[in-house]
Amino acid sequence: MSAAGSSNPEYVVARVRARRGSLYGDEEYRKLTRMGPAEIARFMEESSYGEEINALGSRHGGVDLIEYALNRNLAEQFDDILDWSEGTLYDLIARYLRKFDAWNVKTVIRGVYTDADQSAVEADLIRAGEFDDRRIRRLLEADSIDGVIEVLEDTIYGEPLREAYAEFEETGVLVPLENAVDRAFYERLLSGLGGDEPTRQYEAFLRAEVDFRNATNALRLARSGADIDPAAYFIEGGDLFTRSSLARLAQNLDELVEYIGDSQYGEELGPALRELEAADSLIAFEHAIDGALLAYGDRLGTIHPVSVTPVISYILAKERETENIRAIARGKEAGLSPDEIESELVIT
Amino acid sequence: MFEATNELGNLVLSTGGTLTNPSAAAALAVGLAALGAGYAERGIGSAAVGAMAEDDDLFVNGLILTVLPETIVILALVVVFIVG
Repeated sequence: MSAAGSSNPEYVVARVRARRGSLYGDEEYRKLTRMGPAEIARFMEESSYGEEINALGSRHGGVDLIEYALNRNLAEQFDDILDWSEGTLYDLIARYLRKFDAWNVKTVIRGVYTDADQSAVEADLIRAGEFDDRRIRRLLEADSIDGVIEVLEDTIYGEPLREAYAEFEETGVLVPLENAVDRAFYERLLSGLGGDEPTRQYEAFLRAEVDFRNATNALRLARSGADIDPAAYFIEGGDLFTRSSLARLAQNLDELVEYIGDSQYGEELGPALRELEAADSLIAFEHAIDGALLAYGDRLGTIHPVSVTPVISYILAKERETENIRAIARGKEAGLSPDEIESELVIT
Repeated sequence: MFEATNELGNLVLSTGGTLTNPSAAAALAVGLAALGAGYAERGIGSAAVGAMAEDDDLFVNGLILTVLPETIVILALVVVFIVG
């Protein structure tokens, strides 16, 4: 029943599905890979990115223009979704969109670490999360990592970052800080989810995402052969790994690949795993993971048409689209051939 | 609340069972059908408005789909003519 405070999935899903239809498909990507940066910008201007390209066109040009337009469009679209949704639906979507807070925190930390220009960092932020403009401004004004952590003191990221800071000071690498942010986000993501069937499916989807993230982390560690404790990078909440099994498997790449192959994700990730063994390329595997997650989200969206799942599936697809366009633009800038660029894309 | 229900029950019994009266039952049937149609239209309507907000061309489709559950009320009206 429609009462104050209840959720309105019908409305949000109808709008989201309409927007989903205007995302780029195979055909558009094929065209884009054959264009130069200026042509890509013009192509985007004629599609759903027109407003952003026009707003930013006078200040930026080339690949930067594309990049900023993509970020701004992403933030706008996701803000819209949060605007439309009410009640429990809002809570479920906001949970997921907090990952942009995590992204912003990581970007700011990287910016401070590399002494980047404040406006350069600002352009890379995606303001789709929960942080308001004031907090983002304070984050941008912080001139040391300690300062950044201070601004975040009262958020879920404060404490984990504080703990990771000691390790950062010791080693001088950003990995512990970034993992602390990721972990804080994922642990919050899965806490206190309520009980109907679509929400359980949503939870299963989030667990799959945690599993995939753990698997990529473990593969990266196993591949790099670095002497880092894998358990320290474990994210709670997944089904596939436990802290100790991840630590053990990350020691041995072959065992890890076999373990993932035997798991419930084996069917979807099988081809990518074989490729990983043959070509020794992590990129293909990471793309396969993204693809599998997209397909999973789509399937859930079809099974429960009036719930949070189609919205999440749209959010994923939209993110994918911006990443694809970014890859095309950056690839063009670096002078890659259309075929090479196409291998970088994840298209479902 | 409960006292009111009791009183209503007593009233019904003393007036010779209004609710077992065929006309009253038919009216109730139409009312319940309309309630069901309204509930169905709530979901369809909000989805239709959402779709229209994205694309104006969907107005006609949205309108048709929104009023489709209304047919069930018309079918329920048939009951009135059969019983009454």
